[in-house]
Amino acid sequence: MKVAVIGCGGMGTIHADRYASMPGITLTGVCDIDVQAAEKLAEKTGATHFSSMEDLIREARPDVVSIAVPTYMHVPLIKQAAEEKVHIICEKPIALSPAEAAEAIDFCESRGVRLFVGQVVRFFPQYQQLAEQIQHAGSSSAGIYHASRAGSHPGLVRDWYHDRQKSGGVIVDLMIHDIDYVLGAFGEIEEVFAFHRVQGGIDYASATFRCTNGTIAQLEGFWGYPGPFTTTFEFAGKDGIIRYDSNDAQSVRVRRTADLEQDGGFVETPQSELVHDPYYRELFHFLECIRSGMEPAVTAADALNALKWACAAEESAQSGLPVRLEKEAAKS
Amino acid sequence: MKRLKLGMISFAHSHAFDYLDALLKMKDVEVAGIADEDPTRTRELAESHSVVYYGDYRELLATNIDAIVICSENARHAEITVASAKAGKHVLCEKPLGLSAEEMEGMIAACREAGVQLMTAFPCRFLTPVIRAKEALERGEIGDIIAFKGTNRGSFPDPAWFSDPALAGGGAVLDHTVHVMDLMNWFSGSKVSEVYAYAETLFDPEGTRTIDDAGMVHVTFQNGIFGVLDPSWSRNPSFPTWGDVTLDVIGTKGVISIDAFNQKNSVYARGAGKGSWSFWGDDMNVLMIRAFVNALLEGREVPITGEDGMKSALVALEAYRSAEEGKPVRVFV
Repeated sequence: MKVAVIGCGGMGTIHADRYASMPGITLTGVCDIDVQAAEKLAEKTGATHFSSMEDLIREARPDVVSIAVPTYMHVPLIKQAAEEKVHIICEKPIALSPAEAAEAIDFCESRGVRLFVGQVVRFFPQYQQLAEQIQHAGSSSAGIYHASRAGSHPGLVRDWYHDRQKSGGVIVDLMIHDIDYVLGAFGEIEEVFAFHRVQGGIDYASATFRCTNGTIAQLEGFWGYPGPFTTTFEFAGKDGIIRYDSNDAQSVRVRRTADLEQDGGFVETPQSELVHDPYYRELFHFLECIRSGMEPAVTAADALNALKWACAAEESAQSGLPVRLEKEAAKS
Repeated sequence: MKRLKLGMISFAHSHAFDYLDALLKMKDVEVAGIADEDPTRTRELAESHSVVYYGDYRELLATNIDAIVICSENARHAEITVASAKAGKHVLCEKPLGLSAEEMEGMIAACREAGVQLMTAFPCRFLTPVIRAKEALERGEIGDIIAFKGTNRGSFPDPAWFSDPALAGGGAVLDHTVHVMDLMNWFSGSKVSEVYAYAETLFDPEGTRTIDDAGMVHVTFQNGIFGVLDPSWSRNPSFPTWGDVTLDVIGTKGVISIDAFNQKNSVYARGAGKGSWSFWGDDMNVLMIRAFVNALLEGREVPITGEDGMKSALVALEAYRSAEEGKPVRVFV
């Protein structure tokens, strides 16, 4: 299978790197309007570089493209790729508004191409294990869930993150990981109550989601956290407690005396101590789904649902009132 | 040396045992009497320390003691506090201070009129990590506060009255909101203006519990700070300790993260069947009792007043109203 990567920033580099090491996969091209970035990634992965998606699709003929560009450009590029009958793996969030996301999904369906969205937290083994344990608890799985996701402000490296019209801000871009996870692990959400503040170099949000199964999920998303990239969760139910803290789960630490060189930093991602990291697992899974025609562990409709609740959280933060979405509206 | 003569009324709340331990070690304190309606839990204990036992607290109040420590069921705090004030005794009352605004206003007024002091037992203010955090805030290390996230997760309490709304006044949301709420009040220097909360029963393996054991309490302060706290009795017997007090303070220039009982050794005893955490930090109960005793001996104002106790308890009580109405409620208007 031939794949190509659109966008040679932080996430695009991860996609290209994982594809390059995947058996049976040929990374045919990488593309960025920043020619230097495209050249650099091409050199690293052995792929051909392009400066327009049109040229890339025409010349490299990929079966699948990864779209890893700033969020506000997702939908136009999804449509462009779908028009060319190329399957799409798009980084999260799928779009900046549910209407736009629904439009992209419909467009891909109408052109007969598959669309996958990189809600990668579903592929982190610590979260997968928790979801399995929650599923195992079945009807008694209502409880209190806490999760946080905190790191430096990505706007320090890529300015577009500062523009909420382009990135969506910390809820739509970052907390959406945990919103999607809650939907996957606990099922439908019926209400959200949220706080969101952007001040100086800080973009902080705290949102509580109430699930139909009775679970109360309290989520924090934080850009501008002055510490290492940190993710934590705790689920407490009547049969037990399961907790995780990324700072307590490091199995290898390398500390160099002279390690001051910033290695082209981007959005911080956790160090992996796995043979195949969650990004590899995610991309491999999506490609498997394209090969076999099976449904993915997380669908584009799931990504749309997460976006709806992210936008509902934003609405709650604006109004100071809890926001409930109609079940039909949340599913359509 | 000046000595404080002190009595204790009711051991319904098990914190009384910790407070007694602390008091007995203080050379400038004489524990002159223990009044408890249930002799099985205190009579022998009192006698073993040569402390006079009373079945009726009014007999203890008739003696020449200076101050009273009240650890009764929540529903009796008001009655005993008012009686103590009328007898001219200073009061340290277990939290939550009372079960309604009128009740707590009455307690505060009775003490003021009698010229005695009323302190609310919020030992978390005396946790050294909490004090260090407060100092860092005052030095301006994280700029202005934007938001709080706190937890005071615990185990379901043993005494049966905790499950009885008539005696407890509420479950986890009342019992465990007040501690961290007090810290948020203290740190913010502001007052809560709005509460939105959930109160649920989620942690009973038998499925027979009716009192709330789970919740999430959201507050907005008058100065715009947001806070959320989890007061759930969500720890089960296999958890390595009873519970926690954590508070993250998100500021414009940094973050302070408190995990107040994280000074611990991990213990894996063959006989215990589970690992446990053994705390080795400073004893907050000793420090709180010390502060109460010192204030009275030195004639200063107690560090945590009845008003402080009421400020936190009212948020918890309003949390139930919000949960019932399914919408945010305004407080202190």
